[in-house]
Amino acid sequence: MNNNCDHPKLAQLQSRALVIGGAGAVIFLVGGLFFGREKFFQSYLYAFLFWNGLGLGCLSALMLHHMVEGRWGFMIQRILEAGTRMIPVMFVVFLPILFIGSRVLYPWMPGGALADSELIHEKAGYLNTGFFTIRSFVYFGVWIGLTFLLNKFSHTLDKSGDQRLGLRMRWVSGPGLVLYVLTITFASTDWGMSLEPEWFSTIYGPLFIVGQGLACLAFSTIILSKIAQDKPHADVMSTDYFHHLGSLMCGFVVLWSYISFSQFLITWSGNLPEEIPWYLNRMSPSLNVVAVLLIVFHFALPMFILMQRRVKRGATALVVMAVWIFVMRTVDVYWIITPAFHPKQLGLHLMDFAALAGFGGLWIYFFVAQLKKYPLLPLNDQRMEMALAKSGNGHSEAVEHA
Amino acid sequence: MAVVQNRLTDIDPQPPLLEPGHDYGTLTDKVGDIVDRKPHPRAWIVTMAVASLLLLLFLNAVGYLFVKGTGIWGINVPVAWGWAIINFVWWIGIGHAGTLISAILLLLMQDWRTSINRFAEAMTLFAVACAGMFPLLHMGRPWLFYFILPYPNTMALWPQFRSPLVWDVFAISTYATVSALFWYTGLVPDLATMRDRAKNKLAKIAFGMASLGWRGSARHWSRYEMAYLLLAGISTPLVVSVHSVVSFDFAVGIIPGWHTTIFPPYFVAGAVYAGFAMVLTLAIPIRKLYHIEDIITMKHIDNMAKVMLVTGLVVSYGYFTEAFFAWYSGNIYEKYMMFSNRMSGYYAWSYWALIFCNGFVPQFLWFKRIRSNVYALFAISIVVSIGMWLERYVIVVTSLARDFLPSSWGNYHGTIWDWATYLGTIGLFLFLFMLFIRFVPMVAIFELKALLYSQKHNGKAH
Repeated sequence: MNNNCDHPKLAQLQSRALVIGGAGAVIFLVGGLFFGREKFFQSYLYAFLFWNGLGLGCLSALMLHHMVEGRWGFMIQRILEAGTRMIPVMFVVFLPILFIGSRVLYPWMPGGALADSELIHEKAGYLNTGFFTIRSFVYFGVWIGLTFLLNKFSHTLDKSGDQRLGLRMRWVSGPGLVLYVLTITFASTDWGMSLEPEWFSTIYGPLFIVGQGLACLAFSTIILSKIAQDKPHADVMSTDYFHHLGSLMCGFVVLWSYISFSQFLITWSGNLPEEIPWYLNRMSPSLNVVAVLLIVFHFALPMFILMQRRVKRGATALVVMAVWIFVMRTVDVYWIITPAFHPKQLGLHLMDFAALAGFGGLWIYFFVAQLKKYPLLPLNDQRMEMALAKSGNGHSEAVEHA
Repeated sequence: MAVVQNRLTDIDPQPPLLEPGHDYGTLTDKVGDIVDRKPHPRAWIVTMAVASLLLLLFLNAVGYLFVKGTGIWGINVPVAWGWAIINFVWWIGIGHAGTLISAILLLLMQDWRTSINRFAEAMTLFAVACAGMFPLLHMGRPWLFYFILPYPNTMALWPQFRSPLVWDVFAISTYATVSALFWYTGLVPDLATMRDRAKNKLAKIAFGMASLGWRGSARHWSRYEMAYLLLAGISTPLVVSVHSVVSFDFAVGIIPGWHTTIFPPYFVAGAVYAGFAMVLTLAIPIRKLYHIEDIITMKHIDNMAKVMLVTGLVVSYGYFTEAFFAWYSGNIYEKYMMFSNRMSGYYAWSYWALIFCNGFVPQFLWFKRIRSNVYALFAISIVVSIGMWLERYVIVVTSLARDFLPSSWGNYHGTIWDWATYLGTIGLFLFLFMLFIRFVPMVAIFELKALLYSQKHNGKAH
């Protein structure tokens, strides 16, 4: 059970990821010399926010799983844990943005285009370089701390079988989720919202929280499909778990749409000069195409397709949907972040693709390496045994009524 | 190879969803007897008397309102909405727990919904009935209410479809219709049980007609299951949509304190929060009074308390982001509203009372000791209900009383007639609820049996 290293599908994924990631990274670094520092860091920030968001999505899903202890959660627990262990790596990736890139990216920073505006002076209590740096360290400190505790408890439980560790994971996860929501709210404000420092929206944090959760669910579904047919999953897997993950994705798709639409409707109807520019910057013939893409392919179609029982229970169809949603997540993050750099323009650039592929390939490479380090299912966790017993050891459950 | 230290059942014992010792017959008797065998406890009679008195007060208040007009209320020109809209949002919010329990928890296959869904849904219906009173009365000429419906008329006038107040009409009427259908559909098998048990001829005829010819055949059950699942599917978006539309009533305007993008999810969470508080307020005395602690167990109470904690945290997050972004925005109107008009100033008492009730008090729910103490939970649920009322008070009154132009500012106070109308709807709610307990099985008997079946056959009486 411990010998996961020769898992053929994972090995294949890992080698492909290394090739794509390596190629992307080389193009990105070389491209940086050609296209200049500004473009380099703009694409860098975009790719960082997406891939760091995936690790954070794993952290929130892991804590949610420890709170609700559903059957689906145990199937992907190790995937989520490996995902959280990428957060420290992303911290290192973030340092160049913090110390070099931020001055190019954020117009409120000293020397930035808006540094001398009256409004920015008004906001200087929050938007200043020192506080920004300290906050970034605090966010990563909180996330890495939670990652450390949850991983440590989980792996110790594997060895010792001390059930108190299961409860401890639950106890950490409750306050952990509160901390997660607060840190994401501030981090998204710092790293994303303050790219357009005059603008503000109270639902911006939840937009990131839900987006990260959705990306993580799609990613976990893809990885689970690669390991589901082999041991140890083969002994306990049933289509039900894919069904549950599909339902969760459907729910998150709807939640994302709800939050995005709420923000749009309220901002559009108010039409206030300090708020509406954010949408005006994202409305032009070329960017409208992206917006329509999001409405059709990030909301309407996936929602209706994922409502179909057949899709959720058919392994291939569900994986196709998961890949689809994962790709649409990159589009959404692009739409939220990059128009800040080139208002009203699509601005799609080779560097964006290179950064996304480079960071992503390497992210997945290290992720698989982490995933292989521990058993693919938790050992000796009675919470899992009890959850599985509820469905008659993982076999398809008929919702029975007397 | 399984190594286990400190078994989970020892270190984290869970109360059962249904106490042991029941068979299918005793479950029917236990719930059915409350309606048709046992005399009603004195507490029921006392509550009914109080509720009836309050209902009379309501009729008085409304009668006087019809004679004099809405001027008897405290509403004035900046604060034209006043208590009527506060109470409307409060009641509508309370209804949401019922729908969430019956629809969403059904789809999520949460078996703890079983013992509480029936009366939570009844609570929804009665809360919506109370909520509906306020916008109608607030119109001033309620007999012309149909003006807000889009119908072809000789004046060629249509409602303003861009106004969220019109969306409200659709949202609330859909909600009331679907909730009533859902509740009644779920009742049919139990009404048939009551028909079969009835000794009194009149009761037999009444339950017979109400149960729509239910015979319990396999085909009936199969159709029933499908219909119920579909209704659950239809109800699920309503849990979110109704209160989101209510939040648009505020957020679509540009008044500081109203116009903020977090409002829809924050209103929905607040609604579920208030709703679960009300379910607890009702469930805790009822289970004791009718000795159904073995059916509505501590597991139910614990789970409801947890839902309250989660939604309470979401609501607190809403308060927090509003305050933070008011500061972050650098906008003078936003800052004024949050720091000079809510946290300090004339209405500061209401803001801080709200933070105490909704933000501070529910933090006690983190502790299992509190969640397993029904007295503490009852107290917390009452505090939360008060807090949710205050939340709407803060939103409606503080924002309207101080808008952009100081020349149009004005303070607001509810009058004795506002109190009478509000307390009156509490009377109406209790009155309907007491009738419900008297005439209908308040727990879904056949669903309890299904739960018992699954406990027996999965080998886990856990």
